[in-house]
Amino acid sequence: MNGDTREQMLEQVALFALGVLPRAEAALVIAFIATDDAARAEYEHLRTAADALALTADEPVDSARTARMKERLMARVRADAGPVGRRGAARRAAPARGWFLGAGLLAAAALVFSLVTVSQDVSLRGDLAAAQRRAATLQTQVAQAERTSARTRDDLTQTLTDLVSPDARHYTVAQGTVVVRGDHLYFALSRLPALPKGHVYQAWTAAKGSAAMQPSVTFTPNGSGVAVVELPVDALKVGTVAVSVEPDGGSKAPTTTPTFVRPLT
Amino acid sequence: MERVRARDDAAFEALYDAYHRLVFGIGLRMLGDPTMAEDVTQTVFLKIWSAPDAFRGGSFVAWVSRVTRNRALDVLRSRSARPESEIPADLPLDGALEDDVFARLDSQRLRDALATLPAEQRSLIEQGFFAGVTHTELAERTATPLGTVKTRIRSGLQRLRRALGEEASQ
Repeated sequence: MNGDTREQMLEQVALFALGVLPRAEAALVIAFIATDDAARAEYEHLRTAADALALTADEPVDSARTARMKERLMARVRADAGPVGRRGAARRAAPARGWFLGAGLLAAAALVFSLVTVSQDVSLRGDLAAAQRRAATLQTQVAQAERTSARTRDDLTQTLTDLVSPDARHYTVAQGTVVVRGDHLYFALSRLPALPKGHVYQAWTAAKGSAAMQPSVTFTPNGSGVAVVELPVDALKVGTVAVSVEPDGGSKAPTTTPTFVRPLT
Repeated sequence: MERVRARDDAAFEALYDAYHRLVFGIGLRMLGDPTMAEDVTQTVFLKIWSAPDAFRGGSFVAWVSRVTRNRALDVLRSRSARPESEIPADLPLDGALEDDVFARLDSQRLRDALATLPAEQRSLIEQGFFAGVTHTELAERTATPLGTVKTRIRSGLQRLRRALGEEASQ
């Protein structure tokens, strides 16, 4: 990577830290961060600044709104917490009086609580029903958006977490890094040569103590030679990984000289 | 958070008292609508209550801010088709400001630190953080060349980080 390209990638790191990078470009930055110590340091440095920006939004909320939001939220939480969880240990003493009495008290408490909650809602918050309808509508809209983005976001989040985690193990190869965290195994490669037409890269793994290579996933880097790939294996059982160029669709055994072979030791 | 994980609603109430202004404020800045910000606030705190293990340590302020931004982004996306920007997840960071340092950085100090930035850097960073837009959209909105946007954001964040370091050490 020449100096200009490196500077451009570091600018991308800053955009990623601020959260303004499109998802597709974010994946490339993740690979860069995972394979470059200086980039990772820059990311940590700038993301701290970006995180702190949130504090500028910490402003007083008018008391009526605060009370309304809290009432609405705590009604849901208390209904969910149940009598045992409510107000911690002080209420946990009640069942000691005996199961029958305890159950009766709990049932009575629940009934009283629900009545009190309802009466408070009616008397203190005439707009509760409207707020709930509004929240339901919003939830529906959000759920729709979430369905399309949550899975990708969760996958990316896990990958990102694993790649830059301080407890991840990194094994350097000429094209980037092999990263192992727990039972997850990734290739974070940023210097892959362009593929011949009709070919893909294919990952290979050999179990600990074995020299036999087993076929794994195929992948294609982007135009800049970057690819971030999670191998569908239990990393704890893998002793060696390799990558080779294979025909589209992959091979059962390597047909070309491997791009790299890396023992995980 | 340990007590919240144990389903202690009093602990949760205390957490709400401490952070609802921040969560509501982020929602309001991003959505521009108090009613929607209120709903986002409810959604975020219900997520904390229902899935407290999602917080895996580090700065709670930073984490809850990212959760709120992602939630508000979902609302923005539900309103219209938008390119999806990626807000970094709750990563373990070696060099992150710790909770106690965050605690010393209040809203006013942040504003003071931001005020040390040139206006063109500050504007891009604030819009980028709160508007939920990509750098390309930022360039279009501000009629600024894309390369300039990138350079200003990076320089601005570096400058802000230095200013925060000075604030935190005071």
